[in-house]
Amino acid sequence: MPTTLDALPPGKTARIIRIDAPGRWRNRLLQMGFTPGSLVRVVANHGVGPIIVSSMGITIAIGRGIARRILVEPL
Amino acid sequence: MAGENEERVIHVAVVGQPNVGKSTLFNVLTGRNVHVANWPGVTVEKHEGYRRHRGRLLHFVDLPGIYGFSASTLEELIARNYILSGGADVVLVLVDSLAPERTMYLALQTLEITPRVVIAFTKSDIAHSHGIHIHHDAIARRLGVPVIPVSAVKEMGIEELLDAIIDVAEGRAGRREPLRIDYRELEPYVREAEKLVSKTRLAERLPARWIAVRLLEGDDNLEELLRREGAEDVVKAIHSMRIDIENIFRTRPEELFSRKRFQYLYSIVSPAVVRVETGVRERSERIDRLFSHPVAGPVLSTMILLAVFLTVFTINTGFPLNILLHEAGMPGAAEWVEEHSLGAYLEEGVDALIDAANASLPEGFIRDIVAGGIIPGVGAVLIFLPLIILVAFFLAVLEDAGLAPRIALSLHPILSRIGVSGHAVFPITLSLGCNVPGVMAARATPSARERIRLAMTLPFIPCQARLVVILAVASALRGIEGLLIVILAYIVAFLVFAGVNKILYMLEEEREEPELLLELPPLHRPSAKVVWWLTWDAAKHFLAKAGSIIFLLSILIWFIVSYTPGLSPAASPRDSIAAAVARVFAPLLAPIGLEGDPAWITAFALLIGFVAKEAVIGALTIATGKPSAAEAIRSMGLGDAQVAALTIFTTLYVPCLATLAVIYQETRSLKIALTTIAVMMSVAYVSMILAYLLFTII
Ligand SMILES: Nc1nc2c(ncn2[C@@H]2O[C@H](COP(=O)(O)OP(=O)(O)OP(=O)(O)O)[C@@H](O)[C@H]2O)c(=O)[nH]1
Repeated sequence: MPTTLDALPPGKTARIIRIDAPGRWRNRLLQMGFTPGSLVRVVANHGVGPIIVSSMGITIAIGRGIARRILVEPL
Repeated sequence: MAGENEERVIHVAVVGQPNVGKSTLFNVLTGRNVHVANWPGVTVEKHEGYRRHRGRLLHFVDLPGIYGFSASTLEELIARNYILSGGADVVLVLVDSLAPERTMYLALQTLEITPRVVIAFTKSDIAHSHGIHIHHDAIARRLGVPVIPVSAVKEMGIEELLDAIIDVAEGRAGRREPLRIDYRELEPYVREAEKLVSKTRLAERLPARWIAVRLLEGDDNLEELLRREGAEDVVKAIHSMRIDIENIFRTRPEELFSRKRFQYLYSIVSPAVVRVETGVRERSERIDRLFSHPVAGPVLSTMILLAVFLTVFTINTGFPLNILLHEAGMPGAAEWVEEHSLGAYLEEGVDALIDAANASLPEGFIRDIVAGGIIPGVGAVLIFLPLIILVAFFLAVLEDAGLAPRIALSLHPILSRIGVSGHAVFPITLSLGCNVPGVMAARATPSARERIRLAMTLPFIPCQARLVVILAVASALRGIEGLLIVILAYIVAFLVFAGVNKILYMLEEEREEPELLLELPPLHRPSAKVVWWLTWDAAKHFLAKAGSIIFLLSILIWFIVSYTPGLSPAASPRDSIAAAVARVFAPLLAPIGLEGDPAWITAFALLIGFVAKEAVIGALTIATGKPSAAEAIRSMGLGDAQVAALTIFTTLYVPCLATLAVIYQETRSLKIALTTIAVMMSVAYVSMILAYLLFTII
C-alpha cells in the first residue's frame, strides 16, 4: 500500500514512488539520490518536526511538509 | 634553467557536493594561500589559490559546493557556467569516501559535460574505520579518468593527485570524449533531441548531447539561451517530447533521468565498494533520534548553545559570572572576574595606545585625528575581534563535529512558528556575538524571502557591543536589579525579533511554509586544524568587512564631535556639530521625562551609538565629563524607569553602521536597508515609552 514518507515508523524501509514536493526541494532530493525507485530507511520519526532518513550511506533531515509529499511503497 | 620560457599555468576548477571536505582539501592544495573575492555581481564567494608542482603553476578555483548542475540555484549556475565556459583545463571533482554512491553523482554530471576530469576520493583516512572499502582502480577503469584517494587531514595522496591533474591537463591520461550515459528506454528521445539541438549555435560551444539531456530534464537557463538565438522551435519541440515522456512513463522526465543516471552510477560503484557494519552508524543514529525528539531535542540544543554563550560572555565581559559571584557574597571574586575579562584588557590596551600617540606625536591636527578619531574608532572594532574569534571557535567546533545541522533540525519546529526554518539557528547564534557575521551567515538559508526577513530582523538580537552598553547603563542600578534589567533586555529583544519576523512573514503574499532539507554528516571528533581554519576565516572576514567601514567612519565621528557647526574647532563636545544635531532630536525623549541637559546628552550618545553601539558609553562620559557610564547617568539624575527605558531603547534601535553596510551588501537593496532602520527605530521608540510607563507604574 503506497503511503507518504512522513507516515513511516522508525526502522522501516521503503521504496520511493514519486516526489511531489515543490521544484526546488524536488531537485535537491533527486540530486541527493532520493530518486523514484531508490530505497530509504527511516532513522527517526517522532510524529512532529523533521524526520530523519538514510539512503546509500547518507543521512538527511527532511521537513515534515516535504516528507508528506514523498510517496513511498513500504517494504 | 634560467633561460627556460614561462612557467606553464594549469587552471583547475574544484567542485564537490557540500560536506565532501572541499574547503579542507582546497586549503591543503593551495597551502592556504587563498584569495577570496565574490563571483561577479553576486555575494557568492570565489576562492582562488596557487600551487607549484613539477615546474607547472597550478591555479585552483574553488567552485561553490553544489549537488548537481541543474542550475536551479545561483551556486549551481555559477559552477556550471564556469565549467561550460572552458576556463578550466581540468575539473577536479571531489567524492566523499563516506558516501561514495551519492557524491559520485556530481562526478558523472561533470563527465557528461567535459572529459578533462580528475576524481579525488576525500577523507580516505577514515573510510576503513567507517567500514567502507573502495576499489579505486575499478572505478577509474570504468570511467576512464584518474581516481585518487586522498586525505586532507593526514595530507595523504596529495602528490599523486597533483601528478594526475598535470597528466590530464597535458593529455597523457584521461578520456577524449565526454561520458555517454546509457539512458536506455529514454535514448530515442535523447537522440532525437540531440539532432535538433546540434543545428543551433549553442551546440557549437557546448556538447549537444548534454544540452539535449538537460532540456529534456527541463532547464530554464538553456531554454532562455536558445530562445535568444531564435531557436524557439527547438525549445517547443523538446517541450512536447517532455510531455510525451510524462504521458508514457507516468513520471516526470527529470525524475526518470536522475534515476537512470543513478542506476548507471550504481552499476559502476556497487561492485567497487564494500561495506562492513562497524557500529559507528548505530551510535550516530541514536544521537540523531535524540536531536529530533520534540522535547529532548530543543532542550539539548538550547543547553549546548547556552553553555557556549555563557562561557563566551564570561570570558569576554565577566558577565554574568561577576553578578552571580557578587550576589553570592563574593564581591572580591566578582571584581577579579571583571578585571580579568578580555574586554577589560583590550580596553586598557587601546587606552595605552591613545596615551602613546598623545605623547609621541607633535600637537596638532594629525595628533587629534589619530588619538581622537582613528585609534578609538578602530580600537572599538578591534576590541570585538577576540570575541568574534571565541564565538567562531565554539561554532567551528560544533560545525566540524557535525552537531550544527542537528541543532538546526531540533530547533526547526520552534522557529517555524515565527516563519523561519531551522537554517536560521546559526545566523541567530552568531548575532549574539556580532550582527555582522550573523547577517552574513543568513546566506546559507535556502529560501530567498526568509533570507531577507532575517537580514532585516537579526539586528534586533543584542550583540556583545550592546551587552557592554546595557551592562554599563544597568550598572547605574544596584545589584540584582541591574541583573534583572539585563535579562529583561534580552527577553524583550528576542520577543521583538520573533514578533517582527512573524509580522513580516504574515505580510507576505503566497506564504511558503518554512521547510528544512539538511544533510546530517557523520559525527566525529573535531579536527584542530579544521577548527582553526574556520575560526580564522571568520575573524578575517569580520576584520575586512567591519574594519574598512569603521576606519572611515571613526574619522567622520571624530570630526562631528570636534568641530562646531561653524567649522571651527569645538572647545568642548557641547559646542560640536553632533551636540547641535542631538539638540534637535532631544525633544523626542520628552515622553520618558527627559529634558534639558540629560535629554540632549542622551540623544548625543544614542546618535554616536549608531556608528558603533559601544561608543554610547564613551559619548556619555565625554559629554558629562564623568569617568564612568554609571556616574554619568547618576550625574544626570535619571530615575530607574528612565534607565530601564533607555536600556530597552539602546538594545533595539538602529543597527550599527557596519551591520547596516552588510545588510545592504547582502540584499543589494537600499530600500531594505532603510526599511530596517525605520522598523527598528519605531519599534525601539514604542518599546522605550512602554517600558517607561510600565516602570513608573510599578
Ligand atoms: N578524517 C578526515 N576528515 C575530513 C577530511 N577532509 C575534511 N574532513 C571533515 O569533513 C567535514 C567537512 O569538511 P569541509 O572541508 O568543511 O567540507 P566542504 O566540502 O567544504 O563543506 P561545505 O563547507 O559545507 O561546502 C569537516 O568536518 C572536516 O573535518 C579528511 O581528509 N579526513
